[in-house]
Amino acid sequence: MKIKRLLIANRGEIAVRIIKSAKALGIETVVIKTSAEPSAIYVREADIVHDDTDDVSEIPVFLDIERLIEIALEHEVDAVHPGYGFLAENAYFAQKCMDNRLMFIGPSPDAIYKLGNKTIARQIALRNKVPMATGSRGTIRSTDEAIKVAERIGYPVIVKAASGGGGRGMRIAWNEEELPQMLRLAQNEAEKAFNDPNVFIEKYIANPKHIEFQILGDTKGDVIHLGERECSIQRKHQKLLEEAPSSALSPELREEMGEVAVRLAKAVRYHSAGTVEFLLDSNGEYYFMEMNTRIQVEHPVTELITGVDLIEKQIRIAAGEPLGLTQDDIKLNGWAIECRINAEDVQAGFAPSPGMIEKLSFPDMDFVRVDSGIEEGSAIASNFDSMIAKLIVSGENRDEAIANCRKALDKVWVKGIKTTIPFFKLLMKHPVFVGGDFTTGFIENDLEQYHEAKAEEEQVAAWFATKLFVEEKTADSDATVDFEQGKKMDPWLLNKRLNQF
Amino acid sequence: MAMAKTLLQKINKLYAVNAKKKKYSFSLPLEDRIKVDKKEFDIKLKEDDKLGTYILWKNRKYPVEVVFKRQNKYEILLNGVSYTFTIETPTSMKRLRFISRKKGSSDKEVIKAPMPGKIIDVLVQEDAEIRKGEPILILEAMKMQNEIQSTVAGKITAVHVKANDSVMKDEILIEIKKK
Repeated sequence: MKIKRLLIANRGEIAVRIIKSAKALGIETVVIKTSAEPSAIYVREADIVHDDTDDVSEIPVFLDIERLIEIALEHEVDAVHPGYGFLAENAYFAQKCMDNRLMFIGPSPDAIYKLGNKTIARQIALRNKVPMATGSRGTIRSTDEAIKVAERIGYPVIVKAASGGGGRGMRIAWNEEELPQMLRLAQNEAEKAFNDPNVFIEKYIANPKHIEFQILGDTKGDVIHLGERECSIQRKHQKLLEEAPSSALSPELREEMGEVAVRLAKAVRYHSAGTVEFLLDSNGEYYFMEMNTRIQVEHPVTELITGVDLIEKQIRIAAGEPLGLTQDDIKLNGWAIECRINAEDVQAGFAPSPGMIEKLSFPDMDFVRVDSGIEEGSAIASNFDSMIAKLIVSGENRDEAIANCRKALDKVWVKGIKTTIPFFKLLMKHPVFVGGDFTTGFIENDLEQYHEAKAEEEQVAAWFATKLFVEEKTADSDATVDFEQGKKMDPWLLNKRLNQF
Repeated sequence: MAMAKTLLQKINKLYAVNAKKKKYSFSLPLEDRIKVDKKEFDIKLKEDDKLGTYILWKNRKYPVEVVFKRQNKYEILLNGVSYTFTIETPTSMKRLRFISRKKGSSDKEVIKAPMPGKIIDVLVQEDAEIRKGEPILILEAMKMQNEIQSTVAGKITAVHVKANDSVMKDEILIEIKKK
């Protein structure tokens, strides 16, 4: 069946990304304009805009299944792409789409449900001989049960949300005293984030690498993997930087883990794009963590080294087309690194930094790809995800990719909000990162500060502050003084200064 | 305000002092040159459409903006990195040194919100004894629940927030009398 028009049930950079692949396939896109960001890029790029700015309901439209189905039917779309986050891994939404004869661009509701529920996923993995950390057999019902299970598997343990994902609803307990509280925190967070307070317990693998495999399967049952992504640079389980391939994998280990990932996917008759996440310890042992049944934020690094457009494949597969690729067709070429540009203040422990983008400039270099949902004038609202853009850089090998990344970062300029860019500048020069031998504990254990600080640049900033002080004092006493030496002043700066008096 | 001008006319130096009390001194009138390791370099404040206001320093462009200003305190964002200074005159500098010598340690600890967010749960009450590291409340920001812990051991003297309150960064949450 052919897709002529599709609804994107998402916003931000991923909506822009989906529009790009849909356009290339000659498919019309429908997006939803919300009152939170009526002039967002994705709204402008789409063919058809559903105006939802009058919506006053409590929950965002991207989480409202009934509304989304109504919108899809109203605009007579053939398919719905959920993107990532929001309803991307909601089996009920996928089922609702199918019930209304809308193609859901993603796996079957059954696969989403089974893999989305971590306790069921663990059982499937166990049956298919997928290596796993020891853990509880099912959901933990009480503190007493938690303590018994933790005693059996040994501390430290990790409490995880059964319906979890995206690094939320996870807490580590190092001993019995901590366990009740961590259990409560994980349950609270799970209830809020996933509407399901169920948690389970697993042996905590301290300081592993986070390695994940990209999977593609079609509706005929063919499944291949597109190599791994290294996602160990994370803070509080939130990924900040991803690369492909990983310097930790030999070709043999890659083949072995890839086969395991494909086996798991086949066990649930998986189709569409998916990601099998593993932890890899320092002995080269790997443990299945979870499978994400959606396109990932970090999919571009895989696209850059394999040359496969993953969104295009998702759409074609949903339309019933065969994969058109065999495992042997997948060759990994070069190296790619993705830096997540988040509206966060790295000098204040990555605290959210919402605000208005005053200036924004990305470099125009042939090794740079930018997936962005923002532009100058965009407002970064605190109720949406803090990730605003992705800087994806490639090179022939890892060293070249890092060198290129440094060059690119020097030419990314953002004003108005604080971002994670100073963190990446630090990272690109850090010997542990450059050496490639880092684990998920790197940021919390090895970094004393999260931004690149140069005494010289502080002196430059000090000069600027002093200059402002002098100009203000002079301007105060004599209004006719031309305190910007005849130059036009940054209107924003001027405005900000005026407001301060 | 005429005083300010006379003040600047009389003095020949200003200091930019950072949070760690490191000071950078600048001669007045302020020149478009600064000295690094005994070498002088030109520094220019410029402006274009792409970057807005920026500083040209050693042939590199540094977008610059003021994030915050109050009296003589400035937070500058230079190329995405934040720097905070107070600008001091030679006289105020002396006074600052005097105050910092006199300032004893206070027995009151104030726990502030490390980031803007929503209070999910307050785990302590007024008059409660608390250990260092003990969780006092849960703050949700960007969909993550963060446990705020006590930085000291002592007794809770005031609780300024309750569940479901929204708080700003640096808003005072709890006050503790140190043991």
